[in-house]
Amino acid sequence: MSIVAPRSVAAALRAVTRADRVADEPAALDAFAIDGVVPRWIARPASVDELAAIMTIAAEEKLAVAPRGAGSVLDLGAPPTRLDLVVDLGAFDAIVEYNADDLTVTVQAGCSLHALNRHLKLHRQFLPLDPPGDAHSVGGVAAAALSGPLRFRYGTMRDLLLGVRFVQADGVPTWGGSKVVKSVTGYDVPKLMVGALGTLGVLAELTLRLHALPEAEGTWFVTLPSAGAAQALVSAILDSTLQPNRLELMDEAALRAASMPASPLALLASFGSVAEAVAEQGERLTRLARDAGGEARGVTGEWTTTTERTPHRTTLRVGSLPGRLAATFDTLRGALARLGAVSTLAAHAGLGLWRVTIDGAAPDAIASLVTRLREAVAEHDGYVVVTGGPADVRRRVNPWGPIPPGALALMRAVKTTFDPDGRLNTGRFVNGL
Amino acid sequence: MPVTRKFVEELRAIAGEDALIATEEGRMVYECDMHTFYKGMPDVVVLPATAAQVQGIVKACRRDRVPIVPRGSGTGLIGGAMAARGGVMVGLNRMNAILDVDLPNRCATVQPGLINLWLTDAVRDRGWFFAPDPSSQMVSSIGGNVSTNAGGPHCLKYGITTNHVLAMEIVTGAGELVRLGGAAADRPGYDLVGAAVGAEGTFGLVTAVTVRLLHAPEAVKTALASFTSMEAAAEAVSAIIAAGMLPAALEMLDGVMISAINAGSGANYPDRAAAVLLIELDGPLAEVEAQATRAAAICRERGALEVHVARDDAERALLWKGRKEAAGAVGRLAPTYLLQDAVVPRSKLPVIMRQMEEIASRHGVLIANVFHAGDGNLHPLICYDDRSEEQLARAKAANEELLAAAIALGGSVTGEHGIGYDKAKNLPMQYADADLNFMYRLRGVFDPDRMMNPDKLLPAHPACGEGFRPERPVVPAGAWV
Repeated sequence: MSIVAPRSVAAALRAVTRADRVADEPAALDAFAIDGVVPRWIARPASVDELAAIMTIAAEEKLAVAPRGAGSVLDLGAPPTRLDLVVDLGAFDAIVEYNADDLTVTVQAGCSLHALNRHLKLHRQFLPLDPPGDAHSVGGVAAAALSGPLRFRYGTMRDLLLGVRFVQADGVPTWGGSKVVKSVTGYDVPKLMVGALGTLGVLAELTLRLHALPEAEGTWFVTLPSAGAAQALVSAILDSTLQPNRLELMDEAALRAASMPASPLALLASFGSVAEAVAEQGERLTRLARDAGGEARGVTGEWTTTTERTPHRTTLRVGSLPGRLAATFDTLRGALARLGAVSTLAAHAGLGLWRVTIDGAAPDAIASLVTRLREAVAEHDGYVVVTGGPADVRRRVNPWGPIPPGALALMRAVKTTFDPDGRLNTGRFVNGL
Repeated sequence: MPVTRKFVEELRAIAGEDALIATEEGRMVYECDMHTFYKGMPDVVVLPATAAQVQGIVKACRRDRVPIVPRGSGTGLIGGAMAARGGVMVGLNRMNAILDVDLPNRCATVQPGLINLWLTDAVRDRGWFFAPDPSSQMVSSIGGNVSTNAGGPHCLKYGITTNHVLAMEIVTGAGELVRLGGAAADRPGYDLVGAAVGAEGTFGLVTAVTVRLLHAPEAVKTALASFTSMEAAAEAVSAIIAAGMLPAALEMLDGVMISAINAGSGANYPDRAAAVLLIELDGPLAEVEAQATRAAAICRERGALEVHVARDDAERALLWKGRKEAAGAVGRLAPTYLLQDAVVPRSKLPVIMRQMEEIASRHGVLIANVFHAGDGNLHPLICYDDRSEEQLARAKAANEELLAAAIALGGSVTGEHGIGYDKAKNLPMQYADADLNFMYRLRGVFDPDRMMNPDKLLPAHPACGEGFRPERPVVPAGAWV
């Protein structure tokens, strides 16, 4: 813990940004608490240089730093064990350089994903990342490795981040990657920063690969009688020449929560292409659905598989495989039934990646559910991460779960190499890294 | 530390009698990769058969501070699989099994020595394929592809090797056998797989890889358009992308290359053509048909001399024929060439092509071009006669100038071949000291003693001494482009 007088730190921070970009009044600080841990200062850099200067002060004063973008997923990870300074990048949100001809864009970390996509849409382009929720910063999507249904076709931030400027724990501004769509020059530093939750450096600018918006898009809603039928249909789609851009499975409760038609299970499949190819693939999907015992119909308008995040709702990510869709469904449903709470299940069906929401269960009960699920899915190389919800749950159970010892030793070495004092998002990442 | 007889015997005990190559004639085969410019003979070559043997070798080398150089098929273009400081070369060719094919889960696990194309061969009849397709794919190993993060003509749409690696097992420079990643997506923790792909053997040796397999598309359509100028062809490329298409491949040949190809077996490109554009679309039949028509129309609007759309597989193969013969055809122009693979933003292709002409004429060298136009990945082949030191010097000067021009346009030093020994000196063109320092420290996590493939990927630290001096090239290159 720093023993420096708060006032002199604030003065130093103000000297490198602007007076109104540093806050240390209790009311302002409370709003930036993470899991109830209140910071002592908030600083809002307006440039990479200012961010570097702020981080240099933090290093000299040995401050525990939490970077923050839109603040949309602050409940990801364990509650912080220390927090002195929140670096608020919410207003560091400009589009720095947009090269429509090259399908690349460089943005400041605080740039809103939605605002960016609104702008890109004018050029019939988009950053094909659609994580649940509409208030994410691009830097937050990178740091937390957020993704959505479109990942089935376009991949995730890991596949789209070409270059990244970040400020290391010691205040050194650093660049990794390139600004072109193809580069293997040096180590792939951008990949290391995606999903690192800001524990290796504070993301400042991101250069991203964009895609053209498809000319036409169509979605089919397939009602399915059972998990077995869902498995049969998804397996048939994966083993076909169909090229869906989204393939989402929802259970009865998730359908109800999203105000969709009732069914034991349903698969939502979208195709983006020229109109003829969308229609033709929809017809083939309809036939495959019938063979699997389901029934497909076209959907008009926007749709979402997302259930809102709320402070009392615990969300889990369960990693499994597409060939184990039915088995994982049975495991999850069985365990949740015993919990006796309100819960929904949805999956990126083509990847076997599940999202679980739980409302109205006691933290202890959820913690033991997570532990049981981990044992159940580990057998087939699966895992469970608590991706959000009450801090009480994340205090009772390690939200990230165990990391295999060999990989963990390397991760620890990475962390101690780049943040030897453990000051970046202290205590929040895997195994306290 | 030098390799002693006792040390060689220890390696023999680890890997077996027939796993060692210690004679001078035997080792000579291993003195360079496809970048024949750089030569360095290993003191001994070991061909282990198991991950445990690999680990034993690394531990022995680490104890005695003997450098290790990993090698797959030796088809790299960057002097990466070259023993710059001697030491032990570990050839992974014997570890070439397909361990598991899991189509329901869209992946396969293979050993590093497996030839790239053999994996697709194993699943093709069931309608699947492994997407990364470096031109060397009939001979290069998947371990090598992973180490160099290899690309290929079709990575415009499908991404490069890193986009297809789910998990890997490596023996780190510290001698630990570690599994990174997994078949299930988004495992918690740092993306060590992402960091390790493309590490060019400086993190350790890959002993197994789990890769993504894809279902083959319903249809493939290939078109070829010829133009009277590179500018017109480059504009067609931009227009095709701007129209919202993402072709599987967009390949371009320049006038020098076209003449060389026409002089040979003959793809019969129009004599007046100064640029040939090869467009390949794949996906659902209806999409491919519509886009091929549109792409052909775009080329005609940009003044294409002619546009051919292949009607069947035989015609498609014919359209690719010239492209695939490109590297060989250059043999007609000069005894050998320097090859690099800098990248520019796609919209800067006309600019770099103009600058390239100026650079070529300033240095009096002939440059032939065959490249991945869709992602701005250049492949200039700078021709020279290797019997003339003076010609070599001019070719090298042109090469460096071209690289600088690409970087100045916002590009990158290498798009798919990697850094290796060849381009380590060029990294400071793209990265500041702080960026390189980050990479040095990252390397230290996996290879604390810096004995894994020394002098590769990162520029030598000044304190490390001179190391190794390249010899003159003696073999005409027939490189995979």
